[in-house]
Amino acid sequence: MHPCSREMQGINYVLNPSSQIPLQDLQNQQHQQIQNSPFDPSSSSNDDFLDQMLSSLPSSSWADLKSPWDLNPPTSLNIPINNSSAKPREDETPPSMPENVGFHNFDESVILAAKLRQHQISGGPSPAVAAAAKAMLQQQLMMATRGGGLPQNDVVDGSSFKSPTRGDGSVQALYNNGFGAGSMHGTGQASNQSQQHFHHPQEGSLQAQNFSTPGAGAGMAMNQPQASGSTGGAPAQPRQRVRARRGQATDPHSIAERLRRERIAERMKALQELVPNGNKTDKASMLDEIIDYVKFLQLQVKVLSMSRLGGAAAVAPLVADMSSEGRGGAGGGGDCIQATANGGSLPRTNSNSTQTPSSNDTLTVTEHQVARLMEEDMGSAMQYLQGKGLCLMPISLATAISTTTSHSRNPVLNSNHHSLLHSNGEGPSSPSMSVLTVQSATMGNGRGDASVKDAASVSKP
Amino acid sequence: MTSIYQINSATRIRFARRFLISLSRMRRASTLGPPSDEEIRTRTRRIRIVSYSSMAFAVGSSRAWSRALVLKIRNRARFRGILRNKCLASKKKRVIKRHKVSREMSKTDMLRRLVPGGAGMGICGLLEETAHYMTCLATQVKVMQSIADHYSK
Repeated sequence: MHPCSREMQGINYVLNPSSQIPLQDLQNQQHQQIQNSPFDPSSSSNDDFLDQMLSSLPSSSWADLKSPWDLNPPTSLNIPINNSSAKPREDETPPSMPENVGFHNFDESVILAAKLRQHQISGGPSPAVAAAAKAMLQQQLMMATRGGGLPQNDVVDGSSFKSPTRGDGSVQALYNNGFGAGSMHGTGQASNQSQQHFHHPQEGSLQAQNFSTPGAGAGMAMNQPQASGSTGGAPAQPRQRVRARRGQATDPHSIAERLRRERIAERMKALQELVPNGNKTDKASMLDEIIDYVKFLQLQVKVLSMSRLGGAAAVAPLVADMSSEGRGGAGGGGDCIQATANGGSLPRTNSNSTQTPSSNDTLTVTEHQVARLMEEDMGSAMQYLQGKGLCLMPISLATAISTTTSHSRNPVLNSNHHSLLHSNGEGPSSPSMSVLTVQSATMGNGRGDASVKDAASVSKP
Repeated sequence: MTSIYQINSATRIRFARRFLISLSRMRRASTLGPPSDEEIRTRTRRIRIVSYSSMAFAVGSSRAWSRALVLKIRNRARFRGILRNKCLASKKKRVIKRHKVSREMSKTDMLRRLVPGGAGMGICGLLEETAHYMTCLATQVKVMQSIADHYSK
């Protein structure tokens, strides 16, 4: 039929269409009065309760309205709550009162009683009861508003309802009082009598409505925390920044663990981008790559610092040095060596002319010259060497080559700390020979890096 | 969390400037003529230390590894005499270490050794420091290489 909320709104609208403020003030007043009233919900029976509420009402008209209710004890009001719609009609209409007022009275008082009940119930925190009370309340409202104004129902033919006998005016007034915005049109046409009657029950109905709203509010407030409490208390923790997903623990420890793991995963991802060849999915292999790359970079710095000096001291073999922990510093400075990889860039044509095994003098001369050049400037030295088709190599390597291969042509000249191996372009081009190159003037940086990387990878045991 | 391990050009410039200044200082102080083995070694080491320190100073104290590196270098400079003895001792240690099974050390321990100041950090911070340290090392290498290239031409 008519939805409850609309009826409520209609009632408010009808009763107080122009000024909402006094309604609200009244609401507040009533609300405070209700709350401040020293009634003890646990002890009071329905009668006391109702009497208290009624006595707290300021309006004198209530006293008038109240009188018929003395005839009908408030318990009887409670009865209609549980009974069918037909029954309450009997209690609604006190014969002595004018129908309109009585009807209004019934309307508001039923609502009032319902709200009082609700308050009483809400004093004890039981969600089921509160919910039930709320349901009952709504039911009562429905019934009250319905009973309040529908003349066209079978209510009309209810014997208790003497209003329809009153005549159209009263029915109209009732209708207007009971119902919605649509009935506003009717109020304008309503007779003065009905309007006067409006005034009397106005406060009462306002109060009733006021009671209803706090009651409803209390009921709603009651239900909501309980509902939220039943969902597990997850929203009740404002401390948590991360809301736990379904099926996951809301335990702060596990959340901290999860955050930590996520952070670590983030960092690993960032590192993956930095490290070349960092497409490993496994964390352990990723860590291996990272470690190798850091070692490699440190080695590169070491070699570059060597190049600044230009001195290639063959104290220890490069391979052996790299297989160790790679700790620089202690005597390892002179180990790193420069040699051009693969000899591919060496001009082979020149080499033959310069390779005169008989003239050691030329070699020594070249050597000295290169040594001198190295003192000043690595680049020029390298260029000189390359012009000659020579390359630098660690002594151990040179010895290894000379022993393994049959290069009898150019023994390793080990006069100084410099070691020059004259390779005629037939120089060993095996990848194991590709060692560090620092001067990448001809090689190009990328190539140099690649060769360094190769060395780094080769040296692994 | 957006962690961009990009080194500003400002850092790079600072590093290059510091490095060049210290290199020129070293060059002025170096002995002329063919250096001996020891000299070369010391010079190499010094240059290496200079490059690391200039990088650390360029980065500043915003990173844990740079702070640790600066402290290490300062301590090194203070105890130079002791350091010489330490070199010999560390040689022995190195020999001994080879016999040790290196697999006992977990990967994180190895990483901690590599990254300066990594001993006192958790995994999370260690990874972050590693990333920044890696980028700094890469720029260091690039700058040094470009310097070498420039002077070789």
